[in-house]
Amino acid sequence: MGVWFGLAIKNLLRRPTRSILTILGVTIAIAVLYSLLQFQVNYEKGLKKELGALGAHVMVVPKGCPYEAATIVLHGGKWPRYMDEAVLEKVKSVPGIAQTAGIIMDAILDFEKNENRIFMGIDEDYPKIRGNWHVQGSWFTGAKDEIILGENVAKLEGLKVGDTYYLKEKDCSFKVIGILAATHSQDDGFYFLHRKTLQKVFDLPEKLVVILVKLADIEQADKVVAKIRTMDGNLNVFPLSELLSTVGNLVQSTNIFVLAIVFIAIAISAVGVLNTILMAVYERTKEIGMMKAVGASRSDIFKLIWLETLVVCTTGGLFGVGLALAFAKVIESFVRSALPYASRSEALIGLSLSDSLACVLFSVVLGLIAGWYPACHAASVKPMEAIRTE
Amino acid sequence: MITATGITKNYQRGAESFAALKGVSLNINEGDFICLLGPSGAGKTTLLNILGCMDAPADGDLVIAGQKVVTSGRRQLTDAKLDRFRRKHIGFIFTDFFLIPSLTALENVEMPLLWSGKPNRERAKELLASVNMDHRLNHRPTELSGGEMQRVAIARALVNNPRILLADEPTGNLDTKTRDTILDLFDHLNQQGLTIVLATHDHEIAERVTQVVRLNEGRLEG
Repeated sequence: MGVWFGLAIKNLLRRPTRSILTILGVTIAIAVLYSLLQFQVNYEKGLKKELGALGAHVMVVPKGCPYEAATIVLHGGKWPRYMDEAVLEKVKSVPGIAQTAGIIMDAILDFEKNENRIFMGIDEDYPKIRGNWHVQGSWFTGAKDEIILGENVAKLEGLKVGDTYYLKEKDCSFKVIGILAATHSQDDGFYFLHRKTLQKVFDLPEKLVVILVKLADIEQADKVVAKIRTMDGNLNVFPLSELLSTVGNLVQSTNIFVLAIVFIAIAISAVGVLNTILMAVYERTKEIGMMKAVGASRSDIFKLIWLETLVVCTTGGLFGVGLALAFAKVIESFVRSALPYASRSEALIGLSLSDSLACVLFSVVLGLIAGWYPACHAASVKPMEAIRTE
Repeated sequence: MITATGITKNYQRGAESFAALKGVSLNINEGDFICLLGPSGAGKTTLLNILGCMDAPADGDLVIAGQKVVTSGRRQLTDAKLDRFRRKHIGFIFTDFFLIPSLTALENVEMPLLWSGKPNRERAKELLASVNMDHRLNHRPTELSGGEMQRVAIARALVNNPRILLADEPTGNLDTKTRDTILDLFDHLNQQGLTIVLATHDHEIAERVTQVVRLNEGRLEG
C-alpha cells in the first residue's frame, strides 16, 4: 500500500500549487467544522459550569431582558436597571428559600487601557451562596473604605492585603482587607466592596441589580418562582435551569444555521477537489492509457485516482484540525465578541480526540465521494483512444 | 502463439467510415521476430493494437497463447480478465516511450509489477541492468536521452516476463546509432525465446528480422 501512496503523492506533487490550493480549501472548511463542533460542546459545558458555580437556583432582576441580566450577573458590567433594596426583604420572606443575596454592581471603563473594571457590592450572604469562597485576609468589618480583590485583579494591580487601592474616577481610597483565593470563575476578575459602600460611592442608594436565591428544595422551584412573581410585577424571576435551556436553545438554533453554512463551504471545497482531480485525469489521459497498456486494470486506475483524492482530503482534514487549534485563541476572541454569554471559565475551542477523529473521518468520506467520478472516468479510459489523444 | 483470422477494423471520420484493416489473417509462432512493414496509414498500429488486446476488431478471430480472445468480432474475455491476460502475456513499447515524468527509471520499470500486486524493486533493477541502464536507475525521464528512455521502456515491457513483445515504431524517435543499439537488444531478447512483433516503415529494420509482413491500405501484401 505504501508504494500506492507514494505514487499518489508523486502525482499530486506534479502540480504542487494546484494541489496545495485544493488542500487549503478542505483545510479551511474542516477548521470551521472542528471549531463549530468544539464551540457547541464547550459553550454548553462552560455555561453549565458557571451557572453551577453561581450556587443559586433562582435569579430575581428588574424588568428587562433576562438574558442581558444573566450576562451581567455572570460576567459583570453596568446595567442601568435597578430595584429597591426593600424587595430583598420581601423575597426573603417567601417560604422555601434557604438563602438570598442582594447584589449591586457597576463598572468603570478605562478608555486608555481599554479595560473594564467591575465593582460588585455584596454582603456576608454572597459567599454563603457561592460556597467556594476563601478570602485571604479578613472579611468586611463595617468600615466604609474596605475592598476585597479577586485573585486576577490583585495580580494585575500588584496589590496585597494591607495595601491601599486608589479609585481615581471616584477620588476614593480603599484598604485591601482581603484577596479572594482563585475560584476559576468570573469572581477572580472583580473588585468587591460592601454593598452599602458601593451604593454610596457609585451613588446608587438602596438599589440592587440582582437577588440570587438558593432554594431549600429544588423541586419547589416552580412554587417559589410563582410566589415571587405575584409579589411584585416589576420583577423578572426565572430559575437558572430555565435560563440554561433557553440560552442553549438560542445557541443551538444559531449553530444549526452556521452548520448549514459550513456544509455549503464543505460542499464547495468538495467540488474544488473533484475539479482538481478531474483536471489531473484529463491531463493524464494519455498516461492512464499507457498504464493500462502496460498492465493496469480498471480497478488499479480507479484505486490510484481515488487514493489521490483521499490524500488531498485527509491531508486537508488533518491540517484543518491543526489550523483550528492553532488559531483557537483568535477564533475564540471573535466568538466572544459576538456572544457575550459565552463562558470565560472554559476554553471554547480545545483539543478533543473524538472531534478531531470525526473531522478527519468526515474529510475521508468527503474524499471518497469527491473522488468517485474522476476515478470512474479514469478507469473507463480506453488505452488506444487515450494514447492517440493529442 | 498468435493466430489472427479475417481481422477487420473500421474507423469513423466524421460522417465517413474508413476501413483501417480489411480481412487480415496472420499466424505468428513462438520465438518469431516479425516486422509489420508499411507506409504511414497502412494499418500497422491498428493491427498491433488488436494483437495486443488493446483494441477490438469489427470482425475476425483472434487466438493468443491458446486463449480465444475474439471470435467473429466478439470479445471472449471480460475487461478484468483481458487486463490480466494482457499483463501476463504481452509487453508493449511505444514510439513516444510514454514514461511517467514524475517517476525515476527504476520506478517506471517497477510500475507494472505494482499492477500485478507484486512490487519487486530487485526485479526492476535486474531488467534495467540487462538493458545497460543500471547507472541511470534514479534518473527521471527528462534527464535521459531518447535511447535511454526507450531502453527503460523495454525494461518496463519485460518486467512481467511476457511471452510476446509488441513494439510500435520503437526507433521512430531515435538516431541511427541508437536505433541499432535498440535493435541489437531486440535480437538478444528474441534469441532468448521472446516473440517480437515490431511495426515500422523503416526498410532497414525489416532486413534484421526473421519474417516481414507487408501491409498496405489495410491488406497484407505478398
